[in-house]
Amino acid sequence: MRIERSEGILLGIILIYAVAVALVNPAFLSIETVFDLVRTSSRDLILVMGLLLIMLSGGIDISFMAMALVSSYCATAAMMQLGLSSIGFLLIFAMLIGVVMGLFNALLISWLKLPPFIITLGTMNLFHGLMATLVGTRTFGGGMLPPSFNAFGSGNLIELESEYGIIGLSLSVIPVVLVIVLTWFIIYKTMLGRGIVAIGNSEEAALRLGFRPLLLRLFAYGYIGALAGLAGSIYICQVNAVYPDKMIGEELMVVAGAVIGGTSISGGKGRIFGALLGIIIIYLLKSTLIFLGLSASWNNLFVGIILVLSLSFTAWQEKRRNERHLLFKIESR
Amino acid sequence: MQQGAQAALKDGAAKPLLVEAIGITKTFGAFTALDDINLMFKGGEIHCLAGENGSGKSTLVKIIAGTYTQDKGTVVINGRSYKELTPAQSMAEGIQVIYQDLSLFEHMTVAENIALGHLREERSALINWQQVRAIAAAQLERIGVRLDLNQELREASISTKQLVAICRALAMNARVLFMDEPTTALSGREVDRLLEVMSELKKAGLAIIFISHKLDEVFRIADVVTVFRDGRKIGDFPSCDLNAKRLSYYMTGKEISYPKYQRISKAQDNFIEIKDLCKKDMYSHINLGIRPGDILGCIGLLGSGRTELALSLFGLNQPDSGKILIEGRETALKSPSASMEAGIALLPEDRSTEGLFLERSVAVNSSASVIGKLSHGILGFFDFVKERTLALSGIERLNIKTTSERKLAGELSGGNQQKVVISKWLATKPRLFIMDNPTVGIDIGSKAEIYEQAQSLARQDMAVLLLSDEIEELTANCSRIAIFAHGQIVEILDEERLKDPAIGSYIAAVVAAGGKQGTAQDTAAAGTYNPKEGRA
Ligand SMILES: Nc1ncnc2c1ncn2[C@@H]1O[C@H](COP(=O)(O)OP(=O)(O)OP(=O)(O)O)[C@@H](O)[C@H]1O
Ligand SMILES: [Mg+2]
Repeated sequence: MRIERSEGILLGIILIYAVAVALVNPAFLSIETVFDLVRTSSRDLILVMGLLLIMLSGGIDISFMAMALVSSYCATAAMMQLGLSSIGFLLIFAMLIGVVMGLFNALLISWLKLPPFIITLGTMNLFHGLMATLVGTRTFGGGMLPPSFNAFGSGNLIELESEYGIIGLSLSVIPVVLVIVLTWFIIYKTMLGRGIVAIGNSEEAALRLGFRPLLLRLFAYGYIGALAGLAGSIYICQVNAVYPDKMIGEELMVVAGAVIGGTSISGGKGRIFGALLGIIIIYLLKSTLIFLGLSASWNNLFVGIILVLSLSFTAWQEKRRNERHLLFKIESR
Repeated sequence: MQQGAQAALKDGAAKPLLVEAIGITKTFGAFTALDDINLMFKGGEIHCLAGENGSGKSTLVKIIAGTYTQDKGTVVINGRSYKELTPAQSMAEGIQVIYQDLSLFEHMTVAENIALGHLREERSALINWQQVRAIAAAQLERIGVRLDLNQELREASISTKQLVAICRALAMNARVLFMDEPTTALSGREVDRLLEVMSELKKAGLAIIFISHKLDEVFRIADVVTVFRDGRKIGDFPSCDLNAKRLSYYMTGKEISYPKYQRISKAQDNFIEIKDLCKKDMYSHINLGIRPGDILGCIGLLGSGRTELALSLFGLNQPDSGKILIEGRETALKSPSASMEAGIALLPEDRSTEGLFLERSVAVNSSASVIGKLSHGILGFFDFVKERTLALSGIERLNIKTTSERKLAGELSGGNQQKVVISKWLATKPRLFIMDNPTVGIDIGSKAEIYEQAQSLARQDMAVLLLSDEIEELTANCSRIAIFAHGQIVEILDEERLKDPAIGSYIAAVVAAGGKQGTAQDTAAAGTYNPKEGRA
């Protein structure tokens, strides 16, 4: 596998940081830390794959956390009504609801021709508002949920004995790996994926080759909708409760992760490995604050610093490249 | 449709009629871009479209490609008539276009850019990267060019991009190939190669429609020339019946001649003096002085260091050693703003990407360089009246074809966009104006206007550094000419020498000799043609 320079730097940062934390607190260096990181970051690792596809298409979606909440909440409510209890129903319902919301986003973007940021900012509130008024706002506590939810949320794929008891690799690693492989396949192995990358590079040029931006956009936004349903379901199973107002507000961290990982805000460029690294670095910072004895507000500071650094790095690389080609942006005073 | 069939019969089987435009009219708002155009394109023929900037050439191409829909008229392709053509239908009929803006994907590799259209046309659902490379390699082989298949396109030079665009069209089984100014960024040798490729494609039975403002290319390659003026067709002419003079008369409706520039300035001190300027791998030991009122021409082959030197004077390419004196004082030109402060302006070669805000109006664009001067007081009230006056004077002086100064720059024709950039820089009233190939893609009538502007400003003591490949333009407009080769000035011709009527062929010979070493090396080393990165 080819590793981009920016990704190499991120890997380096992760390594140096991990060593630094381990020096302060040796307990950090354990397999348990890794398992824990995988479990807590599962939801966002899945979401960032959808976001990557959207950003490759030249768009942006900030409604995915709302979609994750609304789809998992509505699916749970429906299952309680119908008396269903299988985890399979949860996943299917939530993903279907997510797809519908995603397609709605794509249609609005194509019809209104407004920036996707504005549109998904609107639909984020719209979806949440519709859920609150039409479905309700009560919290489903652990005792009320079907036991299969908790069984999936706290189930382990691999279990190891350790001196503190049993530690395990969460079952959520299975959907995460499947989604990564699927996204890789779509982006690199299908005409659909190349079309999405093409419209992100230049919609005009893609049109002239005969690509259909509307269809490609429907797919991309539908895909992140489905992933939002999946990610939301995994999250409620892990928390073992469904709150009507969780998740919303955390979307920008995922966007930050994608950008830190080198995904271009202007579209057409971005890689799976980078996006994953971006999310991992954010969760690493989050989870190590305890080890370092710092309060949670430090998290934002750290993420902010890395975000600014990575954007500067990209801008600097761009400038270097242009200089090599004797291309210069001539700014007017 | 019947008309089409009859015409095909008349001409016999040798030159089958592939595309026919019947009564095509296209308007943008109240503006008529094409007015009742009738045209035929035949297989095995190279057909040139000529006309001033904004005369509707690109619009006609876009209609036949299905990206614009005509208001009136029919397009007949392979005997089928279309009132409304989609890009997919047009491609399925074998029509391919190399657009003025190339329409490539910057973040994809060279190979993918070439192959994607072909695979999409075949409706393959999956991508096989080996096949992608094979398709690209086959097309490059076909035109005899070697490129790095895995290079990301944005890393590639503009000439590589033009070759990629050509290969992409060929990969899509083109039967009719439109080329909208495909040679603007190519150097002499690359143009030769491209014209050769075109004749080979013609022999293979393709219909080739070629748009270029370089009349020498038109005459070298065309079988038929159709002339447009203000959206109307003036006529179809066999190219053997035409010469440059008649063609430019048909295009513009007037006789074009370049008045010879005479320096009248009394000033004898150099405005700028360059002393022993060096930059590794680009240029070395450059000594040059430019006086107010000088129009100093620079000519040289690819890699001769001209553009690199020009960029250094504009603070964009720091020299390693040497001095630059402005009005006798040593000045460090570390940034474009330092250069602008010193009264230097640069019209860059790659204007399409650098000079314009396509989404903003012509007025905004033409005043962008003097925006600071248009605000008043501490509140910075913006002087819209002055902005408009500036824009109108630019439109007037350079004859920019636009319906109003409020039109978006992106809606202008390619050549008119360039004129907006030129007028924007002229608005800064520079003391030294560096023009890097200012007339690429500009029609011959407007070329004369641009040079008239440059001359009249030079008469008012502006100094001009003119980089150009067209000897005739240089000898007419320059008071001195510097010949560059391999990063050095090999000869400077003064005003006396330029009076010699045979000076043009002398310059051509020196330039060719200067480039000889390079050419011989290249051919020996590669055996195949390989466009160099970087620009002259
Ligand atoms: N999308 C558009 N909206 C409004 N006007 C347009 C649009 N496209 C083209 N025009 C106008 O139509 C006219 C013809 O443009 P076109 O691009 O066909 O010229 P051209 O002959 O190709 O010129 P050039 O040699 O400069 O490329 C121009 O005056 C241009 O301003
Ligand atoms: Mg044009």
